[in-house]
Amino acid sequence: MYGGGYIPGQENEKPDQFQEDPIKLKEFEDRITRGEKIEPHDWMPREYRKQLIRMIEQHAHSEIIGALPEGTWITRAPGFRRKMALIAKVQDEVGHGQLLYNAAETLGKSREEMMADLLSGKSKYSNVFNYPAKTWADVAVIGFLIDAAAIVNQVANSKGSYGPYCRALERICYEESFHLKQGHDAFVALATGTQKQRAMLQDAVNRWYRPIIHFFGPPDVASVHSDKLMRWKVKMMSNDAMRNQFLSSYVPKVRELGIDFPDPNLRKNADGTWSFSDPDWDEFKRVIKGDGPCNKERLAVRKWVETEHRWIREALFNPNAKYTLPLS
Amino acid sequence: MEKSLDPRIARLNIQRNEEGTPPIGKHEYGVSYEVFVQSKRGKQHVHAGTVHASDPSMALIFAKEQFGRRQHCVNMWVVATTEIFSFQYADSDMFETVPEKIHREPGGYKVRDKIDAYRKKIAQQKTDKS
Amino acid sequence: MNKEAAKELMLKMADDALIYGHRLSEWTGIGPILEEDIAFSSISQDKVGHAWQLYQLLEVDFGTPNPDQMGFERKENEYKCSRLNEFYTRDYAFALIRHFFMDHAEFIRYSLLRASSYEALAQLAKKVRGEIKYHVLHADTWIKKLGTATEESHSRMQAALNEAFPYALGIFEPGPFEQELIDSGIFIGEEQLRAEWLDEIRPLIEESGLQLPSTTNAEMGGRSGYHSDDLAPLLEEMSEVVRSDPEASW
Repeated sequence: MYGGGYIPGQENEKPDQFQEDPIKLKEFEDRITRGEKIEPHDWMPREYRKQLIRMIEQHAHSEIIGALPEGTWITRAPGFRRKMALIAKVQDEVGHGQLLYNAAETLGKSREEMMADLLSGKSKYSNVFNYPAKTWADVAVIGFLIDAAAIVNQVANSKGSYGPYCRALERICYEESFHLKQGHDAFVALATGTQKQRAMLQDAVNRWYRPIIHFFGPPDVASVHSDKLMRWKVKMMSNDAMRNQFLSSYVPKVRELGIDFPDPNLRKNADGTWSFSDPDWDEFKRVIKGDGPCNKERLAVRKWVETEHRWIREALFNPNAKYTLPLS
Repeated sequence: MEKSLDPRIARLNIQRNEEGTPPIGKHEYGVSYEVFVQSKRGKQHVHAGTVHASDPSMALIFAKEQFGRRQHCVNMWVVATTEIFSFQYADSDMFETVPEKIHREPGGYKVRDKIDAYRKKIAQQKTDKS
Repeated sequence: MNKEAAKELMLKMADDALIYGHRLSEWTGIGPILEEDIAFSSISQDKVGHAWQLYQLLEVDFGTPNPDQMGFERKENEYKCSRLNEFYTRDYAFALIRHFFMDHAEFIRYSLLRASSYEALAQLAKKVRGEIKYHVLHADTWIKKLGTATEESHSRMQAALNEAFPYALGIFEPGPFEQELIDSGIFIGEEQLRAEWLDEIRPLIEESGLQLPSTTNAEMGGRSGYHSDDLAPLLEEMSEVVRSDPEASW
């Protein structure tokens, strides 16, 4: 789940000025235009490698950090069905993280380096997980709407150019379809339940609305459009296109239950695009810089995992072990 | 640290540490093993992905749950990535003319026309004789 | 069939699985290694699933309340789980040692139950035993590694073992219907189970460079509803959402 979403820095950075070998570059670009995948030991431009490592790595971080808001309710899930489903779902997120760290590793950055960059704050993760899961209804909202948003992103990226990332995303998209069903099921149970349940659900939707709008990143006009990343099939769809697709699919599904979003300006235009109130992009910037309700806790937990269990890894792993990059 | 909304996290009593990042050792997360899954008796083992582990016995117990918890599976192999050898993609032109080698393909052998022509000839010969 | 005897047996098995599975689920998302996080979460789901199946059988064959009510709504002294499963821990060594003790006991218990005269339970046991085989393999792999790897890992595992062992013996606390279970062929009894368990774990403990404590004082009480201080808060937490809206279905 939690498919990456928008993380600033990719599009607005100055592109690498390094001059690649023009013949190799043309071969590489032709391969991508033909729809063929790039595999780990292929020649690739430096910038392609760099952008992909960053994208896949941050997607991986989003998965394991994303496990924490929903994990909040594992020990309190109401009933056997919800209990088992939630453990399975959060387990899947950790599993997705594992698949994605492997995919990024094929490009030459070790899992250890990636984890160190996460813990130091150098590498980011999807901003949406810096918000707290305050009630059981938050689990339903995250499981339904945020998973849905992630799926839009992941399905788009699964048609990208880098083989290992595409293969990881294929499995991730398949498992996400279970998460979406399960999330929708929990959402509907609350929406069609008691007054108390409906109120809890509406409150959760109200709190998660802006973070969900932020999920896909700033409007296209506000970001420097990267032709190269689109041409190299690293970025597959624009922020606005993904956001519109999500809103078109899911706003009706929420409204048909008599639940609504806290935005009187949220509506579909004649041309199929969506309008909504300014979601406060300053808040987004502040939170991603570290000033959100849960940033410190999320990283503190991962630091705890790292330090508290160092004794286990020291017992198991040999720093002089024979090592080679994974193949795919 | 401010008390977490997750009671599991609150119980960990994490002391918030603003100072620096814990250093992570080389290969602290192990080395990689490739995982091959056999879905049914009689089928091939197929590559499913990679696990990080310290040794084969750990790799197996990890692989079972990361690659066998949904798909039906009767068997699994793990192989250290260092033990896998491959061709380079740069040399994939070695494989390029394979589809042209019809002398090895059933489709490269068409006898119907020859048989029909021969039978026509024999029939004609019979007619000519009589 | 002696219904009271069978019901008592299945209830304690279900409660063990639920409380133990619940404790395992506390590690989902915060496990020491990603791959291990995933593996432990599977074991957790298996346990909760076993509890669910046992409560379902109890409802069908003995008319007990439905599984959600049994699992989430009983009073503390109505649960018959052994105390070992109740303990909260943030120490992975303790989590692994408990896993080792508990899963060997369950594996033998379910293996023996395949021959039970109580047909439905025998069928369930056959199914469940395969899953527990993996749990045992997982536990054995870990304790063999950590017991012998470094001085630190060895001493942590030994300390956890010393702490857990008396409570592990409490798994085999005899119930009120031991003789009835044996006589009717439903189950071979806790005493026999404990003997087989000790035979099985002794060589594995030795192979792991660890030692069983010489004392054999069992910490008991769980099977008769007398629990450690850790159970009440666990139950309160587990049932928090359910209790917040008793009319609701989730």
